[in-house]
Amino acid sequence: MFVARSIAADHKDLIHDVSFDFHGRRMATCSSDQSVKVWDKSESGDWHCTASWKTHSGSVWRVTWAHPEFGQVLASCSFDRTAAVWEEIVGESNDKLRGQSHWVKRTTLVDSRTSVTDVKFAPKHMGLMLATCSADGIVRIYEAPDVMNLSQWSLQHEISCKLSCSCISWNPSSSRAHSPMIAVGSDDSSPNAMAKVQIFEYNENTRKYAKAETLMTVTDPVHDIAFAPNLGRSFHILAIATKDVRIFTLKPVRKELTSSGGPTKFELHIVAQFDNHNSQVWRVSWNITGTVLASSGDDGCVRLWKANYMDNWKCTGILKGNGSPVNGSSQQGNSNPSLGSNIPSLQNSLNGSSAGRKHN
Amino acid sequence: MEKMSRVTTALGGSVLTGRTMHCHLDAPANAISVCRDAAQVVVAGRSIFKIYAIEEEQFVEKLNLRVGRKPSLNLSCADVVWHQMDENLLATAATNGVVVTWNLGRPSRNKQDQLFTEHKRTVNKVCFHPTEAHVLLSGSQDGFMKCFDLRRKDSVSTFSGQSESVRDVQFSIRDYFTFASTFENGNVQLWDIRRPDRCERMFTAHNGPVFCCDWHPEDRGWLATGGRDKMVKVWDMTTHRAKEMHCVQTIASVARVKWRPECRHHLATCSMMVDHNIYVWDVRRPFVPAAMFEEHRDVTTGIAWRHPHDPSFLLSGSKDSSLCQHLFRDASQPVERANPEGLCYGLFGDLAFAAKESLVAAESGRKPYTGDRRHPIFFKRKLDPAEPFAGLASSALSVFETEPGGGAMRWFVDTAERYALAGRPLAELCDHNAKVARELGRNQVAQTWTMLRTIYCSPGLLPTANLSHSVGKGGSCGLQLMNSFNLKDMAPGLGSETRLDRSKGDARSDTVLLDSSATLITNEDNEETEGSDVPADYLLGDVEGEDDELYLLDPEHTHPEEPECVLPQEAFPLRHEIVDTPPGPEHLQDKADSPHVSGSEADVASLAPVDSSFSLLSVSHALYDSRLPPDFFSVLVRDMLHFYAEQGDVQMAVSVLIVLGERVRKDIDEQTQEHWYTSYIDLLQRFRLWNVSNEVVKLSTSRAVSCLNQASTTLHVNCSHCKRPMSSRGWVCDRCHRCASMCAVCHHVVKGLFVWCQGCSHGGHLQHIMKWLEGSSHCPAGCGHLCEYS
Repeated sequence: MFVARSIAADHKDLIHDVSFDFHGRRMATCSSDQSVKVWDKSESGDWHCTASWKTHSGSVWRVTWAHPEFGQVLASCSFDRTAAVWEEIVGESNDKLRGQSHWVKRTTLVDSRTSVTDVKFAPKHMGLMLATCSADGIVRIYEAPDVMNLSQWSLQHEISCKLSCSCISWNPSSSRAHSPMIAVGSDDSSPNAMAKVQIFEYNENTRKYAKAETLMTVTDPVHDIAFAPNLGRSFHILAIATKDVRIFTLKPVRKELTSSGGPTKFELHIVAQFDNHNSQVWRVSWNITGTVLASSGDDGCVRLWKANYMDNWKCTGILKGNGSPVNGSSQQGNSNPSLGSNIPSLQNSLNGSSAGRKHN
Repeated sequence: MEKMSRVTTALGGSVLTGRTMHCHLDAPANAISVCRDAAQVVVAGRSIFKIYAIEEEQFVEKLNLRVGRKPSLNLSCADVVWHQMDENLLATAATNGVVVTWNLGRPSRNKQDQLFTEHKRTVNKVCFHPTEAHVLLSGSQDGFMKCFDLRRKDSVSTFSGQSESVRDVQFSIRDYFTFASTFENGNVQLWDIRRPDRCERMFTAHNGPVFCCDWHPEDRGWLATGGRDKMVKVWDMTTHRAKEMHCVQTIASVARVKWRPECRHHLATCSMMVDHNIYVWDVRRPFVPAAMFEEHRDVTTGIAWRHPHDPSFLLSGSKDSSLCQHLFRDASQPVERANPEGLCYGLFGDLAFAAKESLVAAESGRKPYTGDRRHPIFFKRKLDPAEPFAGLASSALSVFETEPGGGAMRWFVDTAERYALAGRPLAELCDHNAKVARELGRNQVAQTWTMLRTIYCSPGLLPTANLSHSVGKGGSCGLQLMNSFNLKDMAPGLGSETRLDRSKGDARSDTVLLDSSATLITNEDNEETEGSDVPADYLLGDVEGEDDELYLLDPEHTHPEEPECVLPQEAFPLRHEIVDTPPGPEHLQDKADSPHVSGSEADVASLAPVDSSFSLLSVSHALYDSRLPPDFFSVLVRDMLHFYAEQGDVQMAVSVLIVLGERVRKDIDEQTQEHWYTSYIDLLQRFRLWNVSNEVVKLSTSRAVSCLNQASTTLHVNCSHCKRPMSSRGWVCDRCHRCASMCAVCHHVVKGLFVWCQGCSHGGHLQHIMKWLEGSSHCPAGCGHLCEYS
């Protein structure tokens, strides 16, 4: 069972994003009150705010951690048209006394002329790279050529998406068979029904990002998008938060079959679509193994989705924002009361199929 | 925020109608002002001065006030104001310091009425008295403010700000005699128009210039000021000291600020650089604009609400040479688009969730909604009356935790820590791992391990295959022995080959090596003695340098082996694979190269039989009860590994891959293996399972992976005797020719874990030191240091 631990965030306006670090021991929140807060988990499991500082002169939409190999580094993006990279400084004795750590701004990325709506560090194996997207429909990819120098970032790519962008997600796959890939969602709400999710892939030959795929079926504003942690899968799973929750799989068609050098072709399947939130879905987030998807919507609930061995996705839990139980959960046919044992139970359920296969 | 459903507003009989529209001007505008009938607007700029009629569908040019053949500087307007009592009266501030009044009632084409040439520099602002027909106020770059009576030829009084340029002046609506002025040095002054000698009050409002101010239209004594510091501040001027009521942080310097009619807390701002948009703020929610107008393509220079009692029409002029009418209902609302929730899955299966409080408000019996996008609005409306003020939103942050101590991913950590991946016969490894999986309640995984054991190490073989197998077995054993021996036995022969191979690139280093052979021998001996202490690890550690020979060897000798013949020797293939790995950056010189090595042969010989007997032992068990060779299963096993990987259990895929080693490796393409390894290692590192991660790296067969722990770590070691930096190779200090890493307790060279005191640099085997410190806190080397280990 989940236990809700309420935290007095003390942000002066809406919180727009929360983000755990690589090891899950730190958490960052950002808010419209223009500040970012960093929370550290104590031994007892309590979260303590160890830093809070004004980061931007507008709403801070997103905050994200870099891989710890690059240091304790955060990136934030804001309505004030900038993205910023922050680094924690150790050895500020004055601050340490108050249990506060010190974060310094390493760089401000000012290329956007409109609100920067999302910022994400690239998977570690690509080096220290950062992608931003902005309301003017441009995805920008920056790279810090020297990982020791966080104040120098060069703009490597500008990808025009034609539509106001709201969210991006890197494909986390570390396989050499998968070229760097980034999915972009748009919250453009104009009535023309254009596809709101585009996927761009890096082409080694042209050294540019080119559109690999457009999810034609997603025509409503997209608020969040997330590739599942890859963990050795040959295909990719993409979750989309729009007016409902959707899960797509992208299976790369074998390279040999496609014309060499061109963009990878994908077999695109929608494997799940849920409107249980009965409202706009704002966020989707994958667990670390990419087996459980959490989504949150205007109904104020978090819903957990999980595939059974038949690759049927089902709701396995509903969490109310304030921790109170949700009455509606019984309506979900497949709700699983003990979420803690999710994974083992999956293993059990999988037992039948794989064992069956082996006897073939 | 306010959704205006109507376009028309009834205002004392007259009705405002219109739509969002714009018209092109001939030149950039500097300022605009609206006639009191709300039907005309005047636009002024450096080379434009026109009156437009605001019609239903469009702006219609009504009058061009720039007349005369030769344009005068007097017509280069910095500001314009339309009298709010007299529809015919306008005033402009010229960039050359002239204040001009215009009378539209004049019959001639030239409507210019009066000319006041009193200011020395640009006049930034002109302002009519709200209730007095003939009083005009001006503020100039020269630091002076002047009050004109339009019935007289020159100014009535002059006010000196005693500071820098005046950016804005505005008569108070509340107080007949009072006006406010703002300055470039950040000050705001309050003047009584009857007392030009000194200001009534002065306070610093902003850092840097205060570009604008606006009195609240309702009688409240509130003054809004905007500055280059990107802030809009609202001051209560009724108290003795000006009190800051609200502070709005915008994203660019604030050029104009205008209170929104009929909306007590709203004001509109525009910026003079960078930002082209017009924002409407609710001052109670200082961080997020309530509305945003994005029509302009260049800096907005003038904004004006069309009618003093209509909150829905805003007019604006811009440097992009356009005049716009904005309808509030067409404004984009950043609040609406803003994401009200944040959600993140944690490592241990915990969920951090932040949501707008109204969304998660405790209403257990709330019925589900059927609408979509309007929910937040609906909510807001609903809650507004109840809350003292609804503008400010806040979020509730909570973390949903699974049971304490690991949570949903406990199984992963436990499995990673408890699995045995190498160093024992396959059967034992499988049994052990199956047991671990079963104990953790992962029955399918346990089952898989059991089946793997059945497939690969069950007794009983095909009778027909028996012969060839035994033959192969013999061969393989021999080969294995050879392999274990090769380091030394085959060294002379191989060494030359290797050297030849290398001579191209490495000739120089080889000679260096030979030169320092004396050092090497001692080095070698040391290692051998050390090695005999820990036979199992010895091979692993020792062969690290010799990859070249083995690399040469392996293709030759291991290829003829049939796969099932390799099976018996669980531990060996892995080791060989490690040997296969590309040389690390600090690649030790191959000892086998030098004939001296043969001297230590005895040690290895004593080692090898142990291992080979091991393997022989397991060979005897490696008979198959089924009539199927393991090859038969390889496809199935491969599928199974893929299955686990696709299911997100890369741990299983990698563990099986490592345990089975050569048996399955060939069936799975290199890239996929590497992908699994990197994924699993990444996961292990997330959980801070550094030891497991390192073991996996070491056991991995993929080149790209095994490189991982050989890169980007540099260890600088000083000799414990002479305190000089050690050369990169070997354990002997170049200078004092003594072995540096001697155990202070047993006086042997430490190979492997070496623990030492950072104070006196003495140390030794971890176990020895631990044991020593149980009895004494002094250094075992006898240096008298009170050693500290953390």
